[in-house]
Amino acid sequence: MARLIAGEFEKLLSTRLWLWLLLGSAGLTALYASLTIVNADNPDTWVYPLSTGAGQRTLFSVGQGAGSLVAVLGAIGLTSEFRHRTATATFLATPRRSRVVAAKLVTFPLLGAAYGLVCVVVTIAIALPWLSTKNIDVSLVAHGIPGTLAGVIAGATLFGLVGVGIGALLRDQVGAVVVLLVYLFVAEPILTRVEAFNAWTPYLPGPAASALTQVSLTNQDFLAPWQGGLVLAGYGLALALAGARLTIRRDVM
Amino acid sequence: MAGDKGRVMVDGLTKTFGSVRAVDGLSFAVEPGSITGFLGPNGAGKTTTLRMLLGLVTPDAGSATISGRPYAALTAPSDEVGAALEATGFHPARSGRAHLSVYCRINGYSRRRADEVLEAVGLTEAARRPVGGYSLGMRQRLALAAALLGDPPVLVLDEPANGLDPEGIAWLRGLLRDLAARGCTVLVSSHVLSEVQQLVDRVVIVNNGRLVRQGSLAELSAEHATVLVRTPQVGQFRAALEQAGARTVSAGRDGVRVLGMDATEVGDRAFAAGVRLHALVSQASDLERVFLALTSDDPAPAAAEKGVA
Repeated sequence: MARLIAGEFEKLLSTRLWLWLLLGSAGLTALYASLTIVNADNPDTWVYPLSTGAGQRTLFSVGQGAGSLVAVLGAIGLTSEFRHRTATATFLATPRRSRVVAAKLVTFPLLGAAYGLVCVVVTIAIALPWLSTKNIDVSLVAHGIPGTLAGVIAGATLFGLVGVGIGALLRDQVGAVVVLLVYLFVAEPILTRVEAFNAWTPYLPGPAASALTQVSLTNQDFLAPWQGGLVLAGYGLALALAGARLTIRRDVM
Repeated sequence: MAGDKGRVMVDGLTKTFGSVRAVDGLSFAVEPGSITGFLGPNGAGKTTTLRMLLGLVTPDAGSATISGRPYAALTAPSDEVGAALEATGFHPARSGRAHLSVYCRINGYSRRRADEVLEAVGLTEAARRPVGGYSLGMRQRLALAAALLGDPPVLVLDEPANGLDPEGIAWLRGLLRDLAARGCTVLVSSHVLSEVQQLVDRVVIVNNGRLVRQGSLAELSAEHATVLVRTPQVGQFRAALEQAGARTVSAGRDGVRVLGMDATEVGDRAFAAGVRLHALVSQASDLERVFLALTSDDPAPAAAEKGVA
């Protein structure tokens, strides 16, 4: 299994996709961090003042946007085997296909963790100097900020599972990426704004990821961080299991 | 199962796609240390058969084993079987060397092995370029390189000559001969007999998913040899030979072509029937024509006789 995982990393690092998506994640994080700081000066804003713990937690949670890109990376990582027909070589080397899915379920969350870490570093690198020019004193170990930062990394990690899972279930690259993006950026924001659904929206993937940082831009209830983590991991593993059982074993022509 | 080492066994394989029966109860065996041509026209079910043999496609019925075991049950498949299949994909952004390097990593081979096989297939210079820029022939060479990575005793190659220029085909023959000389079992598919005629010891011929013939080239050739006869008593001669179980076809005004009987027996039968012969010639078969006859959907004799004056 260790060799399989090493092989997956080598596949991933031998093309540039990981780099573009990492730059995208870091760029988005930098943009969100800047917008949060700029907006916090506006009295009518949704952001709590940055002198408060709540405001600082919001600022330090902006890296959670990287999760969706990690999911995209995981979905592409799995489906490119079928799109570029490397599945033939992959399954010739590893005829037990569930092991291939398992290796990717390890590889992409590890990569997601690295993405999360980079986003955390970017946030800190922007926030600390900028806030000090505003004479706001920030301690990275106060106000629950370590938990927020850990939540960003955990979310990026677990979205790796979700991406691989959706890729395994759909096998089709365009389909998997479109489903993922439409769900995360269209369907879920609508669902979470419908009051009638309030009882179960915390169990959706996005709110479950927000539970990890306990920060969201919408007014909704969260699960506890550990519950959110379990729910998000559950989605990824359930999708991957369904994929391994239903679609991955299909004929490779 | 030591006796099965290197043997490929296909037993009753059947696969249907929608309403098309691609492979229909196909059985054949490939003996260790031989080069076997797996022949049939396009769409005969060759690729589907090879993919079932390699565990990529699940058969509806039947089984296929390599060295006595199904592919998926091999402990280290890449050490035991090397396969280059048609339409094997490569990530266009990955270099040829990076592609091989991934499989070195997965199989626990040293990275040097990638360079060795790249050199063996003549791709050293292009090794670090993205596969997206490779020609079809270069992709074929890369697929072959991947098959050779584990130095396996069994090689399964699907249309490896496609996309190769005549020089490349000559090179491929040399490479496969070397491998067979070292005791490799090679199963190589093709839709053109002449492409592999000088290479293979045995042939397995399929058409419409069914086995048409298997055997050595020499057997096939002998079986389809014909005897050309000239006689003033064509009608009498044909009746006598047909009665004796041979097939006869008219060949010109006073000529008859006899199938399925050797020259000695043809002469003896003619003598016994009191038929005068003006010529009796044994003719080796043209294998390409035999192949076309065997795999054509027309009845074999008609096709075999076309173009005979």
